[in-house]
Amino acid sequence: MINRFSAEIATATLTAGLGLTAVIGALEFGIGWGDAGPEPGAFPFYIGLLVVAASAGNLFQTITHRHGLQSVFLDREQAVRVASFLIPMVAFVVIARLLGLYVAAALYLTFVMRVQGKYRLITSAASGIGAAVVFYLVLEVGFQVPLLKGPLEAALGLY
Amino acid sequence: MIKKTSWLVASAIAVTFGGMAHADWKPTKPVEFVVTSSPGGGTDNFARVVQSIISKHNLMDQSIVVTNKGGGSGAEGYLYAKVAAGDPHKLTFGTNNEYLLPYVAKLAYKPDELTPVAAMALDEFLLWVNATSPYQDAKSYIEAVKAKPESFKMGGSQSKDTDQTLTSLIQSATGAKFIYVPFQGGGAAGVQLAGGHIDSNTNNPNENAGQWKAGAVKPLCVFSPTRLQEGPKVTAAMGWADIPTCKEAGIPIDQFQMPRTVWLPAGVPSEAVAYYADVLKKVSATPEWKEYIDRTSQTNRFLAGEELKKFIASDDAKNRKVFEQEGWIVR
Amino acid sequence: MENFASLLHGFGVALTTYHVTLMMIGVLLGILVGVLPGLGAPNGVSLLLPLTFTMDPVAAIILLTSMYWGALFGGSTTSILFNIPGEPSSVATTFDGYPMARQGQAAQALTLAFLSAGFGALMGVILITILSSWVAKFALRFSSPEYFAVYFLAFASFVGLGAASPFKTIVSMGLGFAFAAVGMDTVSGGLRLTFGFNELLSGISFLIAVIGLFGIGELVLTMEEGLHFDGIKVRVRARDVVKTIATLPRYWMTLLRSSAIGCWMGITPGGPTAASFMSYGLAKRLSRRKDAFGHGEPEGVVAPETADHAAGSSAILPMLALGVPGSATAAVMMGGLMIWGLNPGPMLFIERPDFVWGLIASMYLGNIVAVLMVLATIPLFASILRIPFAIIGPIIVIVCFIGAYTVAGRPFDLWLALLFGVAGYLFKKLDYPIAPLVLAMVLGDKAEDAFRQSMIMSKGSLSIFWSNGLVATLMVIGLALAFGPALSTLASRLARPKTSSVAA
Repeated sequence: MINRFSAEIATATLTAGLGLTAVIGALEFGIGWGDAGPEPGAFPFYIGLLVVAASAGNLFQTITHRHGLQSVFLDREQAVRVASFLIPMVAFVVIARLLGLYVAAALYLTFVMRVQGKYRLITSAASGIGAAVVFYLVLEVGFQVPLLKGPLEAALGLY
Repeated sequence: MIKKTSWLVASAIAVTFGGMAHADWKPTKPVEFVVTSSPGGGTDNFARVVQSIISKHNLMDQSIVVTNKGGGSGAEGYLYAKVAAGDPHKLTFGTNNEYLLPYVAKLAYKPDELTPVAAMALDEFLLWVNATSPYQDAKSYIEAVKAKPESFKMGGSQSKDTDQTLTSLIQSATGAKFIYVPFQGGGAAGVQLAGGHIDSNTNNPNENAGQWKAGAVKPLCVFSPTRLQEGPKVTAAMGWADIPTCKEAGIPIDQFQMPRTVWLPAGVPSEAVAYYADVLKKVSATPEWKEYIDRTSQTNRFLAGEELKKFIASDDAKNRKVFEQEGWIVR
Repeated sequence: MENFASLLHGFGVALTTYHVTLMMIGVLLGILVGVLPGLGAPNGVSLLLPLTFTMDPVAAIILLTSMYWGALFGGSTTSILFNIPGEPSSVATTFDGYPMARQGQAAQALTLAFLSAGFGALMGVILITILSSWVAKFALRFSSPEYFAVYFLAFASFVGLGAASPFKTIVSMGLGFAFAAVGMDTVSGGLRLTFGFNELLSGISFLIAVIGLFGIGELVLTMEEGLHFDGIKVRVRARDVVKTIATLPRYWMTLLRSSAIGCWMGITPGGPTAASFMSYGLAKRLSRRKDAFGHGEPEGVVAPETADHAAGSSAILPMLALGVPGSATAAVMMGGLMIWGLNPGPMLFIERPDFVWGLIASMYLGNIVAVLMVLATIPLFASILRIPFAIIGPIIVIVCFIGAYTVAGRPFDLWLALLFGVAGYLFKKLDYPIAPLVLAMVLGDKAEDAFRQSMIMSKGSLSIFWSNGLVATLMVIGLALAFGPALSTLASRLARPKTSSVAA
């Protein structure tokens, strides 16, 4: 179980980190005010500082209001549900990088329908493959928009 | 079928029809045209005109897919070509920024990581002022700028790109000093000049033609060794050929032109390079190409092979000198 | 009026069976690309462009503009049904359109969106019919300081309201600005914040951020709540559509105000995205039901849609007259004009009046055709929502990722969309407002460029922002909108004992 307090702290730390990244990235260029107005780094630098400052503000508010923030952010059941959604999605992206978007889409739809929707395997697999084929026909054939492809498409001779 | 006598064309056509087997290369899948500008830019127009001519005249058996990769002033497209090393089905369309961009920005490709195929046209640069300004010729305008240094605004497309390079050349050739204002594109610089927000720009003919016709801007001179081609009058009094060259008008700059170039990735068979060079050569001989050149007032000049390499080397050296002088080069 | 005579002549040109058939084909194709993942009007236009090379220019531009209208409508459809904006300018439509759909009012939301969009577009076209020559001249008065003032105005009217903690609003906005700064910097010609990654060379695409923050983030929330859309099984009857049409006059004030904002942003360089945000912001400020905004307030659908389309159609005129495209779609169309042998620019109106007025007339007809056709598709689209979540959920995920990939054809963007998705989920759960981030990403780099160009022109003097009446007026209105509410809140806080606002 995660309470709201920890979630707030973690997010504020993360945004402060992003702000700091912008500040560091901006230092590579001038951050001053030259003859012709602000130098290229000035804008990202001050924006980064602003994000860091506001994140610090969030941290401070969170800590001073600690007692009010003990409410549940994510209970066990919700965490399981979120994980059961996020993990297949991450797998989808990984497979898309390796085998192409079409194969990944077919596998992903099949998996989610079978495991979470409790459809029969044959129905799920047919839907998954069907969806991939429809996407292929519309995007590649219809609109000539190429998607990420993998070894299967190469073996089938599709470009 | 064989109309041209150039050995390149003759052999390529012979090859296409199966005469000599040793150089038989043809695309075996759809060819991707990678455009190093966003939709609507000059390079985009160039690539799409080539595409429309190839499909109209059936110059290639395979279909063409055009993709825009204009990020980072075009670097995105060149990087894409670098990663596609060895793939002869990706043709990249650009300008001289292929070999100039790596000087001014830290990029993960080197100019020689792409194979030059052809340069198809040279885009011209002119010096333009607002139509209501009192200057009738380049000399008097430059004198006025010299009299009040750093108060005249020269607009252009992007920063450390062709327009600013040319501005820098004008400055060192004449001693005048401008304030250079970079805009998102030549179109925007043209409108800013028509609205009187800047004093001059160095737009290509195509970018300012409409405003010139409408009487909002006027050209002072063209940065070309010879005057532009004769054509119909643009305004009541003047046509493109009536514009003096800048050298005639008193700015000692011989020539400043931007080549429209086509590239393949590294490591492709030389037969593939010859194949595309031949297709593009045929494109440049069509009436549609002639029409495109006329409409955009570019100079029609087809370069390939050794000729192209020589051109690139000298263009590269000329620009590099300006970059060094201005301190734009990044390590 | 000479313009009306020209317009009548234009109707004569546009109103042929052939042209009306082209309009219908165009609108249908447009709806298709608008609804499909990753495809937008620019894709459709560049696909059709080669087909139009053999057509006469009037027929060609009618086909392309009709497709453009269709795509805009299609984009609103996905915003409302799935919280995935198809075009940047329909982001503001999601704020209230999606909550309405979740409350079972998908048909109402879609009907209102389409009708107000049609209304806005007609107002935009009427404006350019009456004022075509004035508009072109007016647009010439805008330079970088005025551009900056317009962006500032759009920003000021949207930000500074809402119940979220000010720190969280600042974080969200600042991150948006930082993301917008990544990539090539126009003014210096150098790369910024790429940290040597080639993937960041062309910047962080706004569309990827939107797909992640809105589409995927929303799905994660839905999953956490347990796998279903609330109240989504409501049947859609044709009667709902008709009933909703009857409620439209109620919003006359919003319609007129939003049209005015849209037209103004269309002829100045603000563009449809800025227009829709600004219109939403003002509608919320001026409404008596402020608190209902963001929870399915119909006015929150009407306002951005009207302004978006008013801006979209009035922006075509400056494009034709000045030769500067206002959007990616307009840029592709301009390329088309040149290939058909027409030169966009001030002379187009004089040299080819048949083309220009035929186009304007086709904008009237095309919009009417488009509204009728999309209204007819509402029951079809709303029925998508009755598909079980275990099927439609993963399909939306796939659609989001395909969309993210097709933005630029970069595999890296798949990861980026995933990251933005997780960020969207966290932000929503912790009450960080997302809209300021989105607006900052859209306008951030443009505003920064305009500011720095102004500074180059003035050699570093800020006085350029009140150097003429136009820019000074814009800045004063912007400042009033930005700080007016803050000052009045401050005054009322000082008058009353303060209450904690952390949990808000």
